[in-house]
Amino acid sequence: MKLYEFQGKRIFKENGIPIQKGNLLTSVEQINKVPPPAVLKAQILSGGRGKAGGIRIWDGSLEISELICDMFTKKIKGEAVAAVLVLEKVEIIREIYLSITFECEKATPVLIVSSEGGVGIEEIAKKDPEKILTILLDPFIGPTEYQIRYIAKAIIYRNYQELKNIIDALYKIFKNYDATLVEVNPLVVTPKGMIALDSKIDLDEKSYYRHKQLYDSLLKEQRALQGIKKDFKKFELDTISYIPLSGTIGLISDGAGTGMLTLDLIKDAGGEAANFCEMGGITNPEVIYKAMEMVLAKPGIESLLIVLIGGFNRMDEMAAGIIKYRKENDIKIPMFVRMCGTFEEVGKRMMNKAGIPTYDDLLEAVNEAVAVI
Amino acid sequence: MSILIDKNTNVLVLAITGRAGVLQTKTMIEYGTKVVAGVTPGKGGLTAEGIPVYDFVVEAVRDYQINSAISFVPPRFAKDSCFEVIDNGIEFLVITAEGIPDHDAVDIISYAKLKGTRILGPGSAGIIAPGKSKLGAHPSRVFLEGHVGIVSKSGALSYEVGKTLTNAGIGQSTVVSIGGGPFWGLTQKEVIKLYQEDEETKEIILLGEIGGRMEEKAAEFISCYVDKPIISLVVGKSAPKGKSLGHAGAIIEGTKGTVQSKIEALSKAGSYIANTPKEIVQIIKQIREK
Repeated sequence: MKLYEFQGKRIFKENGIPIQKGNLLTSVEQINKVPPPAVLKAQILSGGRGKAGGIRIWDGSLEISELICDMFTKKIKGEAVAAVLVLEKVEIIREIYLSITFECEKATPVLIVSSEGGVGIEEIAKKDPEKILTILLDPFIGPTEYQIRYIAKAIIYRNYQELKNIIDALYKIFKNYDATLVEVNPLVVTPKGMIALDSKIDLDEKSYYRHKQLYDSLLKEQRALQGIKKDFKKFELDTISYIPLSGTIGLISDGAGTGMLTLDLIKDAGGEAANFCEMGGITNPEVIYKAMEMVLAKPGIESLLIVLIGGFNRMDEMAAGIIKYRKENDIKIPMFVRMCGTFEEVGKRMMNKAGIPTYDDLLEAVNEAVAVI
Repeated sequence: MSILIDKNTNVLVLAITGRAGVLQTKTMIEYGTKVVAGVTPGKGGLTAEGIPVYDFVVEAVRDYQINSAISFVPPRFAKDSCFEVIDNGIEFLVITAEGIPDHDAVDIISYAKLKGTRILGPGSAGIIAPGKSKLGAHPSRVFLEGHVGIVSKSGALSYEVGKTLTNAGIGQSTVVSIGGGPFWGLTQKEVIKLYQEDEETKEIILLGEIGGRMEEKAAEFISCYVDKPIISLVVGKSAPKGKSLGHAGAIIEGTKGTVQSKIEALSKAGSYIANTPKEIVQIIKQIREK
């Protein structure tokens, strides 16, 4: 779950990271009297808002309400503006980039720092990668003192203790909130010390069970700002991953790898999948029922291809789900089921009895599903 | 020899009394795996499929010689349970759970490295040495004893390729599923290294997918250290950008992680490239005819 800047900054503040003073406006009417200059920041979840007009400086020459009204009415990076942060302008000496995330290949936390932060960080990463320092952290120790001294030297910052407090706080947030990314860009140096001018926090939804209260309240707050009125739904963690695509062949698979292989085979055979729908390796009749519901809800599907090669996943259970769905729903399009793996005899017998043919060979099933269109 | 497991591997099953644990223990025993003990906290003293159940790993290792374990523990309890296995010096641990919180997965892998336990997974469908042993839920009939070593991120894709090879009469030394990421204990590179050193393995099949840079890393290793024939199949060429396709690690970001970049790297490293499981069979036949 991505957090809005103001949500992330609230967490920063609670953990002792300095931020600017300011107000959050959820509508134009809420404007208080603030003296110019002020910084107006649109609250959206996408990155790169600075370059897309989501950050404006109010110098007093216009009415502040005009600028804010303008922000609320337009979409930035395709996203409606949920709120506007009105912040005091600070004197910036220089900008630093600082983040903690995971280095996936090494399966370890990594601290990324650059003496040149700000909106150009992606450019720097491309053009001058040596200006970006990546420091692998031990997940049981966190940032060590020598690492922080090393960073202080690299970014040429004298106040070690101040930097250490910020890095320690960031790591604490990363660990204690189950974040997958904690980013400050820019972390600015001002005459009064360092201030986090922005915040980006991603929380790991897989850890929802240990942060129910916190994650629910953050999500509830987001939904309220986005104007989603219907009952607030909590995280729904099921194993189905569904991605709509542009073709006409509905695809369901019980593994990501075979799902992707089938996607490629469909294309090779001259067809185009309408979606990618993978049920996860451990599933049951309800899951395939739901998967069929999801896939067939999309208009324009001309054939349905179900690719099953079960290990954990049992073919008797898959057959039960498919048969139940067909009994309760009117499927008007042809259906092709490749079925093999755990308890395949039982599954195939059930399918046979229900009058649904099954295939053993993947390519054959793919070719027929494409040919029928 | 196979890699990582063989017919003498003594296996501990974690969460042996759970739904998946009971079923998979049964299929593993039927296949010939030496399952010697199981652990489920609070169920000590019972038996499951005739296997004694303990409350703690330390109690199981006191009574049995155990060198490998497979875990069916649900994601939220996985970390503690893996720590227990690692603390008891078990050399090899297969983690089947998907959806373990990222911080927990990283802690498990880091702790295992520190203490010398090899981790397969998380999210691994397991490992099978056909005709010898299996730790996992593999539909065993699609595999045949032989000389091809397979390493795959996806479990199902390894079954698919195993099935195609078996139908063509080509057997496998070992089939390893490392999991869909985003974090891995054993990586493709490490498994390929084991195959290179394994006398029974004559050819190596690498089953990759979009996302990350693991295939590229494997390619670097292959070009320097591997002289056995390698055949690679990388899936996801028709995947849309910016979406995770079922596996958390299977995502194309910008120009990174594409099938093309992986195939280029592997091809440059001297790997054969196949587009379908059937092409793998053709390539192996050609190699063997030479």
